[in-house]
Amino acid sequence: MPLFPNRIPEWRKNIFVILLSLIFVVLLYNFYRIQITQHSKYSGIAENNRVRMISLRAPRGIIYDREGKILADNEFQYNISVIPYEMDSSDKHYQKLGRILGISRETIQKRVKKNWRGEFRPALIAKGVDFKTLSWVMEHKLELPGVIYTLDPYRNYPTEVNLTHVLGYLREITGSSLEKYKKYGYDSGDLIGSKGVEKEYESILRGEKGYKYVQVNAKGRVLGDLERKDNIAPKPGNNLYLTIEKNLQEKCEHVLQGKKGAMIVMNPENGEILAGVSKPDYSPELFSGVIGSHIWDSLKNNPKRPLYNRITKAQYPPGSTFKMMAAMGALDGNIVDSTWTINCPGYYVLGRRKFKDWKKGGHGKVDMVKSIEQSCDVYYYTLIRKMELDYWAKCVRRFGFGRSTGIDLPEENIGNVPDISYMNQKYGKNGWTEGYKLNIVIGQGEVLVTPVQMARYISAFANGGKLIQPHIGLKYYDKKRDEFKKLNSQKDEIEYYSPETWQLMKHAMYRVVNVPLGTANLANTVEKAKIYGKTGTSQNAHGKDHAWFVGYMEYKGQKISIVVFLENGGGGGKNAAPLAGKIFEYYNKMKWKQNNNND
Amino acid sequence: MTENNRAYKKGFDKITWGILIATFVLCSMGIVALYSASYSAEGPFFQRVVGRQLIWIIVGIISAIIVSMFRSKLIYNYSYFLYGAGIVLILLPYFFPASEGAKRWITVGVFQYQPSEIMKILSVIAIAKYFTNTNISKSDFKIIFFPLTMILIPTGIVMNQPDLGTAMIYIGLLFPMMFWAGVDWINIFLLVAPLISILSAFNYYTFFIWLIIFAIVIYFQHYQLWKKIILTIANVSLGLLSPVLWDQLQPYQQQRILTLFNVKTDPQGAGYQVIQSQVAIGSGGLFGKGLLQGKQTHLKFLPEQKTDFIFSVIGEEWGFIGVSLVLLSYFFLIYFGIKAAYNSRDQYNSIVIIGLVSIIFYHVIINTSMTIGLMPVTGLPLPFISYGGSFLTTCCILLGLLFGMKKESKYY
Repeated sequence: MPLFPNRIPEWRKNIFVILLSLIFVVLLYNFYRIQITQHSKYSGIAENNRVRMISLRAPRGIIYDREGKILADNEFQYNISVIPYEMDSSDKHYQKLGRILGISRETIQKRVKKNWRGEFRPALIAKGVDFKTLSWVMEHKLELPGVIYTLDPYRNYPTEVNLTHVLGYLREITGSSLEKYKKYGYDSGDLIGSKGVEKEYESILRGEKGYKYVQVNAKGRVLGDLERKDNIAPKPGNNLYLTIEKNLQEKCEHVLQGKKGAMIVMNPENGEILAGVSKPDYSPELFSGVIGSHIWDSLKNNPKRPLYNRITKAQYPPGSTFKMMAAMGALDGNIVDSTWTINCPGYYVLGRRKFKDWKKGGHGKVDMVKSIEQSCDVYYYTLIRKMELDYWAKCVRRFGFGRSTGIDLPEENIGNVPDISYMNQKYGKNGWTEGYKLNIVIGQGEVLVTPVQMARYISAFANGGKLIQPHIGLKYYDKKRDEFKKLNSQKDEIEYYSPETWQLMKHAMYRVVNVPLGTANLANTVEKAKIYGKTGTSQNAHGKDHAWFVGYMEYKGQKISIVVFLENGGGGGKNAAPLAGKIFEYYNKMKWKQNNNND
Repeated sequence: MTENNRAYKKGFDKITWGILIATFVLCSMGIVALYSASYSAEGPFFQRVVGRQLIWIIVGIISAIIVSMFRSKLIYNYSYFLYGAGIVLILLPYFFPASEGAKRWITVGVFQYQPSEIMKILSVIAIAKYFTNTNISKSDFKIIFFPLTMILIPTGIVMNQPDLGTAMIYIGLLFPMMFWAGVDWINIFLLVAPLISILSAFNYYTFFIWLIIFAIVIYFQHYQLWKKIILTIANVSLGLLSPVLWDQLQPYQQQRILTLFNVKTDPQGAGYQVIQSQVAIGSGGLFGKGLLQGKQTHLKFLPEQKTDFIFSVIGEEWGFIGVSLVLLSYFFLIYFGIKAAYNSRDQYNSIVIIGLVSIIFYHVIINTSMTIGLMPVTGLPLPFISYGGSFLTTCCILLGLLFGMKKESKYY
């Protein structure tokens, strides 16, 4: 084995020995400081040592609407915890505590077990206790060793809007999700966003917990805070601004009151959602404090499903609102031109089957504009015969159907766009016929869409062919960097269609609302601003039909788009369009200062 | 003083005795502290802990004797092979169920073994071999590439397990060994420089001061101008970029990185442990409270008192005297190790010995500093004292190897 060519220089050894000695001297000095200099301080603590670590919960970031009106902020409440180690395990104490809190001894033990974080760390047993209970606990401190109270924040909703499904709610983190989030510093009993923007923007809204160490004597009396550099003040979360406009939201909720369905108002240029309603809803305050299991159960078992977010999750056939896509596809593929005309007798015969138009007597001579204006089914029956199902599906996917919109709300459904392979899979290769296509082209049967997909769809007409990602988060205030950060949306262009095609559709959708025979003339509520739209009625074999209206309003370059969806709401023209009309009227009056009655 | 007429030095000289006595003191104090830490009126628990530790010490002594009999030539020849086997070993825990969320142990029945312990020694062996027979000049920066890679592989693996403490030891080993092997200090400097550039960049002043130091050091090197410029630009831009990149990260991503450097899954719990440990040590005073009198210990305020925080038990019950005795024993153990390395003429043996005592050194410094809050809680045990078979036997094997290397060295 190789030997050193020269002896290792002595200075090298000396550096090692000097460094080693230095480090050990520093180390010894530190022990000297603690054990000799500060000995009396530490023996004092050790004498009646009960150092307690109290975690201080951080208030979550406040949620504002786009104009800075508070949608959700924080209030504080008294919570009671016990330190398992200090708790005298003789049942007397548990019973006493239980009696005053109005819960059984077993419940306390169960909660201690549930919120267990270690023998020396407080386990939460009661939230939001009233002042009477609190003062009783404080008076009987000596008989209740190990029982402590903390002042903790909880969510408060100061406005009249519900905004239930957009805001979401907080839940105590437990079980498997606790395992998952533990590494981010979550502890048993902590609150975490469980639905809506509370979940989506958890990392922004969540504050940082603080800790302080307090010294208490053997009897459990707090002797004072222990001044240490480890004491950390809680840091509140970042404030979040939503694209929601509170007043408009309130109006939408009012308009949809008592109905079942969803409504979305969106800025078609940038995807900002101004209002998002899913009905039935419930007051978010139900979830802000301790939610009783009976409330939870009643919400969960309600047949109208108030917990269900219809904005992103309801999947239903879109009905005639889909017709524009077949028309545009036909133009783009040179299958027909816009002057192509059919005669509609009110039905279409295919083999031995007769496919009916919604209008019994038929529409007479129908060209492309009229087919949209009056929603003529026969026109599309005839048109789809000239088209491959896959071509139609391709045109529909161009508008983002069959995939998620990327809206910043958790749990989005993507609907369904049937193509040949889907139909083959569902019915078998020979199990479906040309007739199914006729059904699909008028937006029935296998086609499924969500209201938020429809919002993106109609907005593309309003903004001249841009597919835009709807979003609810506008910006947040980054406390660490002391600046606002924008939450942006993405756009991509639908490049296939010529400006003439878009113009034609716009013209047709204008007529839908503005001519007496247009299916949505009930939405025509304003004079100066222009309204465009399309109705849809989704046939329902199991009950009342579902109603759709999609549309937008334009005034001096400003636009809003709207989607109204009514589950079992009946015909779209009669039921959904007037609701949109109310919103158009309101928005026109409030935002664009247009009054219909004068000028 | 020709090369061959010096016989191997055999037998027990001053250095051997020094190390043996220091180890004996440490093991004895460890047993007493363990007795106290596991004492309870009921009895059987204490017997189990101290009894087991004694068995491990015996196992350790036997393994040490066996290892000390290996020819160092044999170990030298198989260095890289042993290193490879070590990598396989530390990958094994991934095939065993995780314990408390960590994949560090190979579990067979009640027996748990942490292979990343023995990997410390195997890394030392391999790096020493590289420095012994490399042809690259010690002044060439290229000399650090291979050992750096060899150390980064196991470091990456244990970081993932996750075990930051062990990862720190692996990285730390590299520096004393490079220095001892005669690698130019400028190369070591260039290795550490990017890290300092990143860390110092979070404050204007530190970054500025660091850049001045860096510039001066580089200026006096006999590098070509382009090399100097590239090195400077690389470090400056690294420093300038890192805060920008950090800010680009989402809060949850930053959190993820921060948690990586705070391995205890329960950071608040760690704060509590340190307070209790400090109270225990501080209340011990000069002479300590005496055996079994430690209030912190026996009221179980002190967490992990048999393993990571055993030193706090010594501090409480034996006071500053006990603390000094333990620290002095470690000092002499390491000091005699350095002396043995200095006296050896065999490059390989000498560098291995330095690596071995570095392991002991880092463990002692990190563990004892942690008990008084000078360093974050990383869960590194105290050599010869903490309860636990994997590490105790590793320490004994380490000593056996050290004696073997020393015994087979030609001496000046």
